[in-house]
Amino acid sequence: MIAARHLTRRFGPRTAVDDVTFEVGRSEIVALLGPNGAGKTTTLRMLAGLIAPTSGSVAIGGVQLTRANGAALRMQIGFLTEAPGLWERLTVRENLRVYAGLYGLADADARIDRVLELFAIADRGNARTVELSKGTRQKAALARTLLHDPTILLLDEPTSGLDPEVTRSVRMLLDERRAAGCSILVSTHNLDEAERLADRVAVLDERLVAIDDPAALRARLTTGRTIVRVAGDPSAYVDAIRSIVGPAVDVAVERSALALQLPHPERQTPAIVAALVAAGAQVLEVRAEMPALEDVYVHLMAADGGGA
Amino acid sequence: MPATGHIRPLLAKEFLDLARNKTALVPVAIVTVLSLALPFGIAIAIPAMTGHALGEDSDLVRVSHMASAADTLSDDGRIQLFLFQQFLMMFLITPVTGAMALASHAIVGEKQARTLEPLLATPLGTFELLTAKVLGALLPTMTISGIGLGLYLAGIALFAAPGVGAAMADMRTFLLVALVAPASALVSLQAAILISSRVNDARTAQQFGALIIIPLAGLMVAQFSGSVWLSSAALALIGLGLLAAWLALTFVSVTLFDRETILTRWR
Repeated sequence: MIAARHLTRRFGPRTAVDDVTFEVGRSEIVALLGPNGAGKTTTLRMLAGLIAPTSGSVAIGGVQLTRANGAALRMQIGFLTEAPGLWERLTVRENLRVYAGLYGLADADARIDRVLELFAIADRGNARTVELSKGTRQKAALARTLLHDPTILLLDEPTSGLDPEVTRSVRMLLDERRAAGCSILVSTHNLDEAERLADRVAVLDERLVAIDDPAALRARLTTGRTIVRVAGDPSAYVDAIRSIVGPAVDVAVERSALALQLPHPERQTPAIVAALVAAGAQVLEVRAEMPALEDVYVHLMAADGGGA
Repeated sequence: MPATGHIRPLLAKEFLDLARNKTALVPVAIVTVLSLALPFGIAIAIPAMTGHALGEDSDLVRVSHMASAADTLSDDGRIQLFLFQQFLMMFLITPVTGAMALASHAIVGEKQARTLEPLLATPLGTFELLTAKVLGALLPTMTISGIGLGLYLAGIALFAAPGVGAAMADMRTFLLVALVAPASALVSLQAAILISSRVNDARTAQQFGALIIIPLAGLMVAQFSGSVWLSSAALALIGLGLLAAWLALTFVSVTLFDRETILTRWR
């Protein structure tokens, strides 16, 4: 588990990260979402012990990260930087072998074989990294990140610029690492990825704007609108609905559906469906309108005064 | 006492990288060839081609008497000994010039290639990083200049006047080769690494690094002019002083290595 407590980082007069507190539990993926300059990379660097917070602290497995124990605690962390950061004249294997040495891994070759297999790039192991595609380089960098079996993964934009197939394989791999007990923090711009991948989403804009699971975040922006689709002309059933909800509820016809602004959708929806059926309507769909995570994000950033 | 266990893998990477980029060693090879060609040209080839023996030049005879106590040598032999001893100083500059580009590029190059941040995210310590960088530049260039030096001494034994080769094998030569040359290279490279970790552009690092040649060049000129003659004792003192300076520079390099600035301010 990795925990950030009141993390603040200033660079001269500029505050990059302001009083951020959250934790990533065992077998959990948290997505760090925010616009450019929101402090995502700075937060990851502080968590990895690469830069010190101006105030606040980081704890890894309950142990506070300090300058003195930084090197030892970094053994538990796999940090994927924004750029793959591979030495271009060296092959993938040679790159990984250097890192195996730096982590003091005794069974380096076996581990290298394993991570190359894991990312399906064993056939590219002896290729110089300069010859690799962007996706393969990213896979090699991810392989490097996992080489020492870290219990904490800090990943800065792991799927940035990758094609959908590679993105999917990376996502699957992170799912596997989560199942294996890793604590994973992923910074991303990609809302779809955050929603698919993360157990919780942390929205960052210098400070922590919100952190919750994606469904709960969406619920914050629930419009209370219920959409009812019926066969035929929906306006024919407006009176049937009004007989249930009364005149105070807004009932609008929107293309082939009825949009109802219900104060208590859970209680009122069954009666509405029954009334529609009684009125001879063929009910095709009834659903509560849920905002996309993107809408939530835009709403949160706007409420925070951000420019998203 | 800093840990040193991570130096070896990083050093292996430096050697591999250099093995794939052999052109980086061309400058040191060129300086080594020049360090061989110049003294043999001046002391052996030119007198042979012109027919004018070195001993015909009274100034050279006078200076060579000042520099050498090898009374058993002929005038020609003593002058050759003097010249070969002077040109031995070139082998101080050889590893420095060659390794300078490598060393100046060491930290800023990693940063520009965006390979530094993943490295710093490992348990690698600053002392280990900087030591691997110094040795990564020093050892290959010392090897090349060592080969050059072997050829130099072999050439003297083969082509110089009788007794010159034996006279060269003295304490002064030993101190220059075994102590002063590596120590001066260590100081220069450590300074270059220090500069490389304080500037954000490889070209700037290289230009600052080139300044380190100036005191060595000054020492050479002073020796050639006869105004300074470095005895064995003086060379031993210089060597030990250089080693002390290297240790001090290492401490300063580690202290001033500001990973936060390197990661967050350099672009």
